[in-house]
Amino acid sequence: MHRRRIKARALGLAVPLVLALSLSACGSDDSGKKKADLPSANTSLEGEFKIGAVLPLTGTNATIGKDQQRGIELAVAKINEGDGVMGKKLVVDIEDSQGTADAAIQAAKKLVSVAQVPAVIGEYSSGNSIPMQQYLESQSVVGVNPGSSSIELRTTGSLQFSTIGLDDVAGAFTADALWDKGYESIAILAPNNSYGTGIVSSVSDAFKELGGTVTTSGVYTEGQSDYRQELNRLKDSKPDAYVITTYGKDGTVINKEIYELGMTDQPVFDIYLSQDVPDADPKSVEGRIGMDVNSTSENGQAYADFYEKTYGEKFISSFNGYAYDATMMLAQAINKANAADPEAIAAALTEISKTYEGVTGPIVLDPDGQRSEQPYVIAEVKNGEIVPQ
Amino acid sequence: MVEYLLGVGILAAVYAINALSLNLQVGVTGLLNFGQVAFVGIGAYSVAILDSHDVPWIVGFLVGAVLAGAAGALVGRLGRTLASDYWAIATLALAELVRLVALNQDGFTGGAQGLSAVSGIWTGMSTTAREAATFATIVVVLGIAYLVARRVRNGQYGRVLVLIRENPDLAASLRHNVVSAKVRVMALSAVMASVCGGFYAMYISFIGPGQLLPFATFLIFTMVVVGGLGNTTGAVVGAVLITVLYDGTRFVRDWIDVSADQAAGIRILVIGVVLLGFLLVRTEGLVPEKVKAAHARR
Repeated sequence: MHRRRIKARALGLAVPLVLALSLSACGSDDSGKKKADLPSANTSLEGEFKIGAVLPLTGTNATIGKDQQRGIELAVAKINEGDGVMGKKLVVDIEDSQGTADAAIQAAKKLVSVAQVPAVIGEYSSGNSIPMQQYLESQSVVGVNPGSSSIELRTTGSLQFSTIGLDDVAGAFTADALWDKGYESIAILAPNNSYGTGIVSSVSDAFKELGGTVTTSGVYTEGQSDYRQELNRLKDSKPDAYVITTYGKDGTVINKEIYELGMTDQPVFDIYLSQDVPDADPKSVEGRIGMDVNSTSENGQAYADFYEKTYGEKFISSFNGYAYDATMMLAQAINKANAADPEAIAAALTEISKTYEGVTGPIVLDPDGQRSEQPYVIAEVKNGEIVPQ
Repeated sequence: MVEYLLGVGILAAVYAINALSLNLQVGVTGLLNFGQVAFVGIGAYSVAILDSHDVPWIVGFLVGAVLAGAAGALVGRLGRTLASDYWAIATLALAELVRLVALNQDGFTGGAQGLSAVSGIWTGMSTTAREAATFATIVVVLGIAYLVARRVRNGQYGRVLVLIRENPDLAASLRHNVVSAKVRVMALSAVMASVCGGFYAMYISFIGPGQLLPFATFLIFTMVVVGGLGNTTGAVVGAVLITVLYDGTRFVRDWIDVSADQAAGIRILVIGVVLLGFLLVRTEGLVPEKVKAAHARR
């Protein structure tokens, strides 16, 4: 009897689990919104040139993964509309990382060992991108990270690159901006994950270097229903400005509580405004200042129009552009190297980056293969809209 | 292709060790351990932390086994005061505790950033040979774990464990020391799980708090239940089947012409349907437990 009960209980556990696994895959179908078809490929291209990508197409970050996929799709269409890659049609073989490290490694392994691609784009979470790039390096395959910002990515190897600025780049910009605004002391709050801890340490380090004081820096555990304790710690430290970075449901709660606690009497500086402002109660973020990725360059505007025309909506995240640039840069580098050899592609990537103008701005790769500068913008929330200053 | 298959094999074997461990607890003894990932994490972090200090990997495994074994024994002792349902919740709390320690002890565990560049075994070899050697090593370890688990299950001790599962009061009235039996099986299972964790960290070359979420435990639960709760062979079969199912379905995309995100969705759906199918058609698992056989041996 007891045994059967345990079995029934275990079954009761397994069935919903399996259902959850499958349901997580059922994303929203927005094919109805699609406005225009992608441009068709140049008919003179013969054969295929394959590179790989590992993206979180299912799991908690599926929305970002889908957006990264869109960036890649747009780049592939642009490339194949023109001269392709080495006279061939570019094909990006996209594998699902399920948002986990194990599956990301297996996906990369399949691309390297079965499809035998010379380069792989991916992933989004640092916890997946780092081991994946380490694996790619061990197999002498080029890796391009279009979404993770952990500074650990500097150490993954000579064939590994990033088209997104790492935390140190964003941190230095933020610290400079705060200092320029005349704040001498700040208190920082960020989520307790690899993104949050990375940004806290890079902002604090850069701000202290400028001569400022960090009165307190805290990380919050995600998914709580109340953050007053963390926020009160920030408030009690009496800084010139609060610096926060948050997103999703946590962002909504934190912004509401910042307002309720009267912290908005002091300047609140938001790292990546567009991550949380759209989800927040408008009155709680009115007048908020902050930084964000700049996508208003000339290139960027044309790209944004291309994206909107193709998918019938505005960017669903800011990550499609980096994936677009990663694909574009790889295609150019392969053409320049004129070979499917990873070493040659890596050398060509560094070379072309010196003058490369991407849709996310110029992408100059430093000796570690990381994007050394990225255009950010300081903006303010006015009447619920994010307006660049 | 060979390397990919070896990779799938390594992952399947690593999961199989974990499934054997969980089966000893849940299947044989009836201890609903929802915090299995805690033991895996202890093993993985021990190996990764010591590796970052250039300590030979075997030491990491030993330290991990000792720590996990002690944790397992402690949790087993908790069972003396907590009724089984509450004990299950306590194990879930233990897993969260381990995860939170890993998340917040920055200096030690790398905090939220995790520990990367964990070197694997057989580092001197070229890639395919190394993969093959790693696979062979893990299969040998799995073989040992399998034999141990089988011996425990089929011996006198295993019969006591099954009795504890079926009727703890009867077991106690027959003067079996229920607490001691639970403590021992938890310690043994925890050691096995920590070995799995060590190999896992070395294979993925990274361990972070994100890998210690309860989901990791439930995946192993699925393997054990699909394989056949209480059956040693079933645990291995379940682990291999689910790993192969996950990786095999990656090829689905090569046959159907849809965009990558839809293919990914279809793949997860196929996995879900197949697993549900197994559970509905073979409710006792693929290799059901034979309680009679154990009794007949006496």
